[in-house]
Amino acid sequence: MGLLDLIRKLKSSQDKELRILLLGLDNAGKTTLLKKLASEDVSHITPTQGFNIKSVVSSGFKLNVWDIGGQRKIRPYWRNYFENTDVLIYVIDSADQKRFEETGLELSELLEEPKLQGVPLLIYANKQDLLQAAQASEIARGLSLDTIRDRKWHIQACSAQSGEGIKEGIDWMSTVVGKKK
Amino acid sequence: MKLKRFLLRYYPPGIILEYEQGGNLKTKSIDLLDLKVETDVDAVVDEIARKEPLITASKTEQVRKLVQRLQEKLAQKDDHHFYLFKVLRAHILPLTNVAFNKSGSSFITGSYDRTCKVWDTASGEELHTLEGHRNVVYAIAFNNPYGDKIATGSFDKTCKLWSSETGKCYHTFRGHSAEIVCLSFNPQSSVVATGSMDTTAKLWDVQTGQELVSLSGHSAEIISLSFNSTGTQLITGSFDHTVSVWDINSGKRIHSLIGHKAEISSAQFNWDCSLIATGSMDKTCKIWDPPSGRCIGTLRGHDDEVLDVAFDYTGQMLLTASADGTARCYNAVSHNLISKFEGHEGEISKITFNPQGTSVLTASSDKTARLWDPENGRCKQILEGHTDEIFSCAFNYEGNTIITGSKDNTCRIWR
Repeated sequence: MGLLDLIRKLKSSQDKELRILLLGLDNAGKTTLLKKLASEDVSHITPTQGFNIKSVVSSGFKLNVWDIGGQRKIRPYWRNYFENTDVLIYVIDSADQKRFEETGLELSELLEEPKLQGVPLLIYANKQDLLQAAQASEIARGLSLDTIRDRKWHIQACSAQSGEGIKEGIDWMSTVVGKKK
Repeated sequence: MKLKRFLLRYYPPGIILEYEQGGNLKTKSIDLLDLKVETDVDAVVDEIARKEPLITASKTEQVRKLVQRLQEKLAQKDDHHFYLFKVLRAHILPLTNVAFNKSGSSFITGSYDRTCKVWDTASGEELHTLEGHRNVVYAIAFNNPYGDKIATGSFDKTCKLWSSETGKCYHTFRGHSAEIVCLSFNPQSSVVATGSMDTTAKLWDVQTGQELVSLSGHSAEIISLSFNSTGTQLITGSFDHTVSVWDINSGKRIHSLIGHKAEISSAQFNWDCSLIATGSMDKTCKIWDPPSGRCIGTLRGHDDEVLDVAFDYTGQMLLTASADGTARCYNAVSHNLISKFEGHEGEISKITFNPQGTSVLTASSDKTARLWDPENGRCKQILEGHTDEIFSCAFNYEGNTIITGSKDNTCRIWR
């Protein structure tokens, strides 16, 4: 990777290259999702203190995915990464009902960011493999997603651990940006 | 013209003459870049006396002593073994770049947490946190050799000038329309140059904080810049595959160095500005003749992008670091390969000589920094401990302290 690569990935994306921002609360499963996308082992994942970046080719696009740490003290720095974002992926731990309000607040703040204005939003209702997981439709209602009018959005149930549902989300993303380009 | 005193410069070897002319105190330097331990001192002194009117017969004995001192310094064995002195849990997010002041008494670290911190090298204590940027602090520099000021370039599109002693912000340079990713003070410390993703470089007046000139002409992001040692020229390396040579006074472009087939990663002058070296994503390093702007050599051999290039302090050796995980040392004049550094298990993003030119330091994505012998390519030491890739590394002027900055949010001092 190196600093130079970070700069290159900062550039406004070229054709067929997408800059994707992966956000969500700590322990939502962002890094697991990223690693699963890159077909890497997901058995040992520790809290992300900074960020992880991976480039994945999918549906003819090169996805440069930025996974940003979600702990409270580093959330104010999410803004560092907003520039030139093509798609925002927001990951929710569907089994952690106690934090639905917190995750909803963070998401609504993101949707008000001028730099993310109009950026398509993909929400992964993650951890569907857990028994206590809320359904995607329930989460959508809880977050009042149907009131979002200024961008395309989609909620996708998934399990980053097993990989189930991830591809469907990426497919939605490809069709959305495919039309945009 | 009246000679006032001599100053000695160890790296690169040289004698500085301080003299008076028309009531003004001036300096000029006699570079002894070719000086070796075995060089005949008499011949060197004769040569200096012949060429330099300030060195009269009565001064030659002093000059002889100085040359001998320089030779003694050159003869010192480099058998320093580095150990981890301190881990600084420096920032709450990954570090970007690191830099020493001239004496090495303090150093600075930039970070994704939008701050730059000033550290005391001997104790590892934090002296100041430079706060005010609204995004990543990426490019940082001391105004060496003075070291009383620090410049920080940020993804927030501004550059700030600070007092290194008090941590106070003197100026905020506004004008770039995209991220600032490289910067440098001129040798006189009167001007700061910034290079930006907005494809321009700008020169700023250190005293007044005003923009002096905007250097436009590149068609893509500028990612590397460097002044010549007199401060009359600036080179900028760009993602548009070219390097521009600018005249500082007029703000005009003197040359476009055209030849690389992909983005430039680094562009450097050697000490006496007789050469420019450029690294590129096209897997080569090119050497250019500054007066004509002509390419005089292409160094091939790397299997992947060249990510960094560096001259030694005398400007006679040249290093290349590559994404292929190897680095190389070349004779900068003959372009012959001197040695290969093989062993890293990931790309090498930074490479530098120690000021003595006896050790090469590399920083890699394999979480290690390594020290190499430039003569034979032998790995002298592996600096292990970082838990994520190393983004930056630096030697102090004495060559006995190393700092490494990592994505793991820490900075480590090795000595």
